[in-house]
Amino acid sequence: MLGALWFITFRQWHSHRLRVFLTVLGIALGVSVFFAIRTTNATLLDSLKLTVEKLAGKATLQVTSGESGFPEEILDKVRATPGVKIAEPVIEVVAHTQFEDQGTLLILGVDTASDQKLRDYQFDRSKTDVVDPLVFVAQPDSILISRAFGDKHGLKVGDKFPLFTSRGRKEFTVRGTFKPEGIGQVFGGNIAVMDIYSAQFVFDRGHNFDRIDVMNDPAQTVEAVQQRLRESLPAGIDVAQPETRGQGLENTVAAMREGMLVTSFVALLVGLYIIFNSFLINVNQRWKEIGVLRAIGLERRNVTLMFLGEALVMGILGSIVGIVGGYYLASAASGLMGSAVASVYGLVSTPERAIFSWNYAITSVVLGVAASLIGAWFPAHAAAQLDPTMALHNIESRKREAVLGWIRMAAGVLLIALGLVLIRWTPSTVGIKVQFVFAGLMLAGLTVLLPKFVQWTAQALRPMMSHFGGSEGALAVDAMIQAPRRSSATVGALMIGLMFVFSTGAFIQSYEGVMDRWMKRMLNSDLIVASSQLLRSPTYHFSEELGTKIGAIPGVKIAENVRFAVIPYANDSAALIAYQMKDFMDRVGYAVDDGDEKVAREKMPLGEGVLLSRNFSARFHVGLGDTLRLQTPTGPLERPVLGIMDDYRSEKGTIFMDRALYKQYWKDDSVDFIDITLNAGVDPLLIKQQIERLTANQEHAFVYTNAEFRGWVFGLVHQFFLMNNIQLIVAILVATLGIVNTLIISVSERRREIGIIRAIGGLRAQIRKMVLLEAVAISIVGVLTGAVAALFNTYFMVHTVGMALAGYTVPFFYPWLMILVTLPIVMVISLLAGWWPARRAAQVKVIEAIGYE
Amino acid sequence: MIQLVDVSKNYGTAEIVHALKHMCLSIDRGERVALMGPSGSGKSTFLNLVCGLDEPSTGSIKIDGIELSSLGDDARTRARREKIGMIFQTFNLLPTLTAIENVSLPLRLQGLSRRETEERAGKMLERVGLKKRATHRPDELSGGERQRVAIARALVFRPPLLLADEPTGNLDTATGEEILDLLEVLHREFNSTLLLVTHNEYAAKRCDRILTIRDGAIIGEEFVEHAQHGSD
Repeated sequence: MLGALWFITFRQWHSHRLRVFLTVLGIALGVSVFFAIRTTNATLLDSLKLTVEKLAGKATLQVTSGESGFPEEILDKVRATPGVKIAEPVIEVVAHTQFEDQGTLLILGVDTASDQKLRDYQFDRSKTDVVDPLVFVAQPDSILISRAFGDKHGLKVGDKFPLFTSRGRKEFTVRGTFKPEGIGQVFGGNIAVMDIYSAQFVFDRGHNFDRIDVMNDPAQTVEAVQQRLRESLPAGIDVAQPETRGQGLENTVAAMREGMLVTSFVALLVGLYIIFNSFLINVNQRWKEIGVLRAIGLERRNVTLMFLGEALVMGILGSIVGIVGGYYLASAASGLMGSAVASVYGLVSTPERAIFSWNYAITSVVLGVAASLIGAWFPAHAAAQLDPTMALHNIESRKREAVLGWIRMAAGVLLIALGLVLIRWTPSTVGIKVQFVFAGLMLAGLTVLLPKFVQWTAQALRPMMSHFGGSEGALAVDAMIQAPRRSSATVGALMIGLMFVFSTGAFIQSYEGVMDRWMKRMLNSDLIVASSQLLRSPTYHFSEELGTKIGAIPGVKIAENVRFAVIPYANDSAALIAYQMKDFMDRVGYAVDDGDEKVAREKMPLGEGVLLSRNFSARFHVGLGDTLRLQTPTGPLERPVLGIMDDYRSEKGTIFMDRALYKQYWKDDSVDFIDITLNAGVDPLLIKQQIERLTANQEHAFVYTNAEFRGWVFGLVHQFFLMNNIQLIVAILVATLGIVNTLIISVSERRREIGIIRAIGGLRAQIRKMVLLEAVAISIVGVLTGAVAALFNTYFMVHTVGMALAGYTVPFFYPWLMILVTLPIVMVISLLAGWWPARRAAQVKVIEAIGYE
Repeated sequence: MIQLVDVSKNYGTAEIVHALKHMCLSIDRGERVALMGPSGSGKSTFLNLVCGLDEPSTGSIKIDGIELSSLGDDARTRARREKIGMIFQTFNLLPTLTAIENVSLPLRLQGLSRRETEERAGKMLERVGLKKRATHRPDELSGGERQRVAIARALVFRPPLLLADEPTGNLDTATGEEILDLLEVLHREFNSTLLLVTHNEYAAKRCDRILTIRDGAIIGEEFVEHAQHGSD
């Protein structure tokens, strides 16, 4: 039985190769985006893990304290902890060179006398006659570089090259090179080693270390030593296994990863609509065949099985193609994600090839097949329910499409309302996965209402289509009015794709509006000096001396030193910004949004309290008047929360405190930004030039005027929201495919109708125009439905997604302009998508089409 | 009205099938002609050529003085729209359109305004007795009603030539007779030429002339005397 059904299906595929191809492509596109995003993520994580592990050498544990580092005394405590065999301090800095390309270099400051016990430096002894190059590195101007870096920049032993340090531009002498093995492979070879005390000095670490790498006594388990270290060290110091640190670093781009994942699900969802459409029309095309099969004794169950079997095979085929495509896409996308990670880590090695994970491949096949089966289920069921006597009749006998009854209408409205109520009233503690179900309810409601909406909008469009498109325009829309279900799946695919584009666009625009207002208020200094092009560097900082020098420039009223560090907090991390509070509060006019401004102004400069960003407060449930407890490298710090501020600098949340308080507890006086306020009437550009002259060839510093800084921040925001552009491309690609698919299938299904129109006098040009106008009508209805759906989804985005991913809620904003701009774009794409099906329709052979016998 | 001079139609390249062989025929304006013949005799080929859906391999076809074979596809299609009304055995109505929309379709393709097309289609539906069913779709109509809609559509342009391909083939006897009556009345009213392809001898005998076709050639011609031509 199954063999016979497969034979029939195969014959169908053979005669409708294009439909099969487009359906498989629809599945493949969805799967490829999903697989590519998962693979990119895995590749990146693997690369980070590998980097951390290579840098860790034989270390089994790593002692860190966020980005602030910790006092040297901790090393003694670590070494004294039972079970610790080796403990080596490390300074890790991403420093800038003056080379045009590959301008950054990861500097590892290590104890030259003892670090070889932990890390295996494969020295290139052929290039030097020095027995132990590390000994020579103990000289303050000495450095060891990887052979790859040396070859790239023509550096050999004895050569000098400059580096920007916290104490200005300094020349370093190459004392040796190491082979491109082990540590020499890290960051594509852009790695160098220097003495830890030299590194402490030139990179202004004071008496702090960034990390201690620990190897445990083999007689004891890693976990036991880890536990003992945690007990003996201050609570602000973290002890982790190297492999988990890679994961931790990867988590810093969680928001982008989650956003990309949503994009991949959108692609799959749109693919599902395409499959649904394809199978619905497949059933319509095989109306008579099903009638014959039923008439000769095929049971309903087997009709369902026949279609589901077809869906299964198409799902597998599409998934395999998708995985292959996704793998290549992932290889291309790894660089993109890599640069995003670089913004938090400072430097990242982009893997040459994406990692192929069987786990993700199997998940992708399961998802592709599931989407295919779900999409095919309703049409397969409908095929099984066909009345064979009716099916064997002519097309005039076909029942009109079931009109959307009031029960379905009510169900659709109810689902949307339920989704909205749940989004509005459910606490965010239920988690983003549950909250996505709420959005799913709204989407399900919209899908149920879709045929009616298509009918209504097509009716509303009719006068316009008739006016501009003549009888062909009216006929094109009539097809949608009379048979709304035929176009519903394509409109649905467009709706989903555009809905996500519009609502993400709305979210971004709303976010940018908020950012703009916030920056005008908080970042209102005349000039800003930053240590990195990526807002800040986690490892490279200025010394306080630079602030003093800038403060001495005539015309400069105040130069505020600002430290921005990411610190561990409540098993997660948060940003800590240490301002010279009095200067900061004088500059911003009002500092706290919730709280007593007078009290805050009085107590904050004295270090008697902290301010929190609203997202920190929401994320960690610490409110106004509560006591914030922080674990610092020197012990616990407790301060009352004096105010809550709207701040958008960190999606993890931000703690604000006075710089003196930070320095006291973290023993860290480094500087990430210098906010400069000028005397009245002083030209900022003039002072900018003076600062640039002051820092030229001395500091790796970026000087911005206020307007430049704001533009620069917006540039970074745009870069972060790059996924929206990817989403747009995916949505347009899949939607175009959907339109081509629908029109080709529609032309194929309506072959007889087209034949009849030609027989009673319809010109080829009229048929062509009719199909093209149908494409335009579908695109207009698609944009309209997408705009309606975006209304609900934008509410979901601003209310829930923003809070879940970034901890921010932003005001509701509806992207009218974006929708208006999208409409002509989608119309043109639809026309292009409709060109070939229209040509095909015009070439229909009338005699064959109307089935003369 | 219809003039065929030495018309042949061949199909295939390797093994040529001669569907029509050197056919010569003349049908006058207002005449009712029935074409009879077994399956595969060439009836459909003949009909396809006359309505301009197909082109002859050799010979000339003139409809209302227009040489069809000299026209391009668009001109031929326009000629079909304006000069030829077609009625099919399987009705060939568009299932998604209502009766009035189906009837007004040729007028809409002509580019007439919606009001004019609906007015003319409405009158035509009234003429075939289906005014009350104007807003019904084909699946809501009986076989006879569907064929009436098809007749209304064929005649909405008041074409000089009406081609009917087995118009009663899908209908029961009583309904078939009603359709033949309607065709007869409308033929008289519009003074159109009627070419009826049929297997039904009774239907054929209601025409003025019966042509018998076999193996692509007309092998018989019979003129029918009607007892009641009366005042027509």
